[in-house]
Amino acid sequence: MRNKLKTFLPALIGAMLTFGPAMAGPAGEVRSAPWQMWLQEPASPTADRIVAFNAQLMVIETLIVIFVLGLMAYIAIRFNAKRNPTPSKTTHNTLLEVVWTVVPILILVGIAVPSLKHLYFADRIPEADMTLKITGNQWYWNYNYPDNGDFSFDSIIVADADLKEGQPRLLTVDNKVVLPVETNIRLLMTSNDVIHNWALPSLSVKLDTMPGRINETWTRIHEKYVGKTIYGMCSELCGVNHGFMPIAIEAVSKEDFEKWVKEAQQKFASDDTKTDDKVRLADAGATR
Amino acid sequence: MANVRDKNLKTAMVLFTVVAGMVGLAFASVPLYRIFCQVTGLGGTPGVQASAPEVKTDTDFIVRFDANTNPDLPWKFKPVQREVHLKLGEEKLAFYEATNMSDKPITGTATFNVTPLKAGQFFVKIDCFCFTEQTLEPGQTIDMPVTFYVDPEIYNKVNTRDVKTITLSYTFYPKEEEEGKVSALSQPSKAGEKG
Amino acid sequence: MANAADAHHDDHGHDDHYPGFFSRWFCSTNHKDIGTVYLYLSMFAAIVGGGMSWYIRLELAEPGIQHIDDFQFYNVLLTAHGFLMVFFVVMPAMIGGFGNWFVPLMIGAPDMAFPRMNNISLWLTFAGLGMLLISAFVGSGVGTGWTVYPPLSSGIYHPSAAVDFGILSLHLAGAASILGAINFIVTIFNMRAPGMTMHKMPLFVWSILVTAFLLLLALPVLAGALTMLLTDRNFGTHFFDPAGGGDPILWQHLFWFFGHPEVYIIILPAFGIISQIVSTFSKKPVFGYLGMAYAMAAIGVVGFVVWAHHMYTVGLDVDTRAYFTAATMVIAVPTGVKIFSWLATMWGGSIDFKTPMLYAFGFIFLFVVGGVTGVTLANSSADLVFHDTYFVVAHFHYVMAIAAIFAMFGAWYYWIGKMSGKQYSEGLGKLQFWVFFVGVNLLFFPQHFAGLAGMPRRIPDYPDAYAGWNYISSVGALITAIGTVLFFVILFRTYAAGSKAEQNPWGEGATTLEWHVPSPAPFHTFEDQPDMSGKAPAE
Repeated sequence: MRNKLKTFLPALIGAMLTFGPAMAGPAGEVRSAPWQMWLQEPASPTADRIVAFNAQLMVIETLIVIFVLGLMAYIAIRFNAKRNPTPSKTTHNTLLEVVWTVVPILILVGIAVPSLKHLYFADRIPEADMTLKITGNQWYWNYNYPDNGDFSFDSIIVADADLKEGQPRLLTVDNKVVLPVETNIRLLMTSNDVIHNWALPSLSVKLDTMPGRINETWTRIHEKYVGKTIYGMCSELCGVNHGFMPIAIEAVSKEDFEKWVKEAQQKFASDDTKTDDKVRLADAGATR
Repeated sequence: MANVRDKNLKTAMVLFTVVAGMVGLAFASVPLYRIFCQVTGLGGTPGVQASAPEVKTDTDFIVRFDANTNPDLPWKFKPVQREVHLKLGEEKLAFYEATNMSDKPITGTATFNVTPLKAGQFFVKIDCFCFTEQTLEPGQTIDMPVTFYVDPEIYNKVNTRDVKTITLSYTFYPKEEEEGKVSALSQPSKAGEKG
Repeated sequence: MANAADAHHDDHGHDDHYPGFFSRWFCSTNHKDIGTVYLYLSMFAAIVGGGMSWYIRLELAEPGIQHIDDFQFYNVLLTAHGFLMVFFVVMPAMIGGFGNWFVPLMIGAPDMAFPRMNNISLWLTFAGLGMLLISAFVGSGVGTGWTVYPPLSSGIYHPSAAVDFGILSLHLAGAASILGAINFIVTIFNMRAPGMTMHKMPLFVWSILVTAFLLLLALPVLAGALTMLLTDRNFGTHFFDPAGGGDPILWQHLFWFFGHPEVYIIILPAFGIISQIVSTFSKKPVFGYLGMAYAMAAIGVVGFVVWAHHMYTVGLDVDTRAYFTAATMVIAVPTGVKIFSWLATMWGGSIDFKTPMLYAFGFIFLFVVGGVTGVTLANSSADLVFHDTYFVVAHFHYVMAIAAIFAMFGAWYYWIGKMSGKQYSEGLGKLQFWVFFVGVNLLFFPQHFAGLAGMPRRIPDYPDAYAGWNYISSVGALITAIGTVLFFVILFRTYAAGSKAEQNPWGEGATTLEWHVPSPAPFHTFEDQPDMSGKAPAE
């Protein structure tokens, strides 16, 4: 019974917050809706767990805040100087002091156990079916598919003036990352200059890209996101255009992915993406 | 009053020593950090040994290779093979290839790490080219060998039991003096600095 | 009563012989005057730092770029805002200002242990502030965030001398704080009035003592790291440069080893102030005095071993992250003890909701709000969706910009009569409290939602979906600004035309030694230390 309550209540609240006044983004787009009050819809196994866990945390924390608020309201009314002219002399109560030390410990342990479980889950990289190599640059991302023909391309923000109908401002890029659903994807990331951070809220992926080293994590996009675009933004201050290097993933079926790979191998055939660097940097600043 | 003054000065001396100690610790953190990472393998720092262990198991393992080149280094640098299949404990040899694409001799050095990070202490390099300076003549291509093995202990630890693939990554940088020369040539205005 | 006699004696002491203006204010060796100047420094920096944040909120009020189209300048603003508020507003006010004023008074000491070193600290702080302000005009300024991570802060990506000025600024301010910390520790250990054991000291003094130890241990590490960054930038070293065998993550470890204790340095004096105010206006001693004192010590100690919770996404090993998750959550226990102890202090009390008490009451509730979001962030798994979003911004502004600032306002209203001899207008004070309260909550609460929905921090423009909460937040900033202006109106009115402050305007609840000297406190106090043996803890 307690278990059911533990999952039902947070799920209810999470659902209310997600599907209530705070909808998901427009159809086909996984990003924030206006006035959204809760996390973006989870699109990966890690995200499922983390969104649910956060809902549980939010319930516990809201209860604590309401509890303290209630006590304080009572205090303000009952122990007002007018209503209680003579202050008591109590300065100790051992039982009380023990209780308010032990109960928080129990609550924290209750939080820590699932927390660490989720941490180790997110860290356990399952057998990967493919690899995506991400390189952060000032101020765009470069993507490389080492297992699918080793081609690379840059993904650069589209300036406001060049947006087409329906394309979200500050999130639209020229070349999206195309990834197949229901596939374990190893994510390797590094940087060519300063520290950036590759973050997709709905996949619960967020990892710094460091110059001189690679970091690794993994993701897997749920079936139901086929045909949708999942968005993210750079999440580590990296200079003037830090706010203008978004991430856009187009999730496709496995068959469509194979088709796209063939096209991409032709389109991005050039081994040498570096020659375009100068052009990229000059354009990156002009986002308005 | 003089008594208090003396006490105060004595206490202050002790505290100044503490401050000096903490500054010392901050600077000591540099070698300590390096040693700590090497010993524990934290942060994906591979181990180094002279030769492979006696033990060789039958468990299959994959090691993948990744290569990065700093934009200031006009080299083409890539692994010759994308991955190798090996047994745990088996010594293996792999190659990276580097080509100097510019018209002057350049010296480069490489940094490296391994992912998943927790596998760092079980990935042991016997011989590699890291941090040995490599000088390439214009247009020259060389093969750079790496000899390594994966410690079978990796399956005895709870955390790393699930690891079946390790990725080894190198990043090549131009060596110091070179950096200045190359930067002047190839670097567009950085960081939006108005200077 | 011995104390009144002492006070009377002091009255006839040296009041007639104030030093001349330059000596008095520029070469001071008087803890009260130095405290006063620190408070003015803090108010000046608050106007500048606050002005920067209001400009940022003006830009963020609507999607698109309306006012700040130089994004390096935007980054300079947010960086300077952070540095100013942490190093030149909260610390000078609470430690330099109220600490200097009231620690010697509360322990019955005539002044600090090293009055001249006290003055050195003051002017080093001014120098640090000057260097920071200069850095904004050198090259393109420091656009790295207060965390100054390399490689962005290195010579390649910030080639002008701006970052070097910033480093110098922090060295100066850091030196000032280290010297100040030594001064406070020596004073508190060695100069308490006879009979005042450590376990009879007021909790504000405890809070400054623990804070001083944190400063002593943490600031030198920052100094070391800053020096390494300076040599990386100018003298060819490679501490943080991978091309030379260095590691940017080392900077982060060193910075946050300082940075986390720093936030406890910010909040512990606030804890002390709240204990004094709550006790005074509830007319009861603080509940569980020993628990309160040692909870602060525990927070200080544990605060040193949790730093990497600021680094969950850099690529740390999973076991490391697991440890830091657990250790960070431990801090919630002593903090909870303090919250409940304050509530228990008020329970059964006879509470006067004057302006200082309104601020203390607000502190307790709003610190709990900020604290629980901290519990969410402590979990490295949950943090994956929150790191570097506005959820983090909301969290630290709740605990620092709301809670700590509430404590500072509360302290000002509580002690201004003692410091200036003039009392503020209670009606205006209450008004200012409510305006400010509404303002800061409107300003920061919506930022939780923006962060939950995925809005990153440190960006000058955002995808349209985040417009709603950003607009409300900016309206809150406007109301906060009005509340701040109102505070300065009250300040001027109090100085110009405030009613004469009584020696103890707060009644039976005000039991600490500063209420046993006249208002304004004489230039010299407790030249003969009172005998405190046999007296109860003054808390």
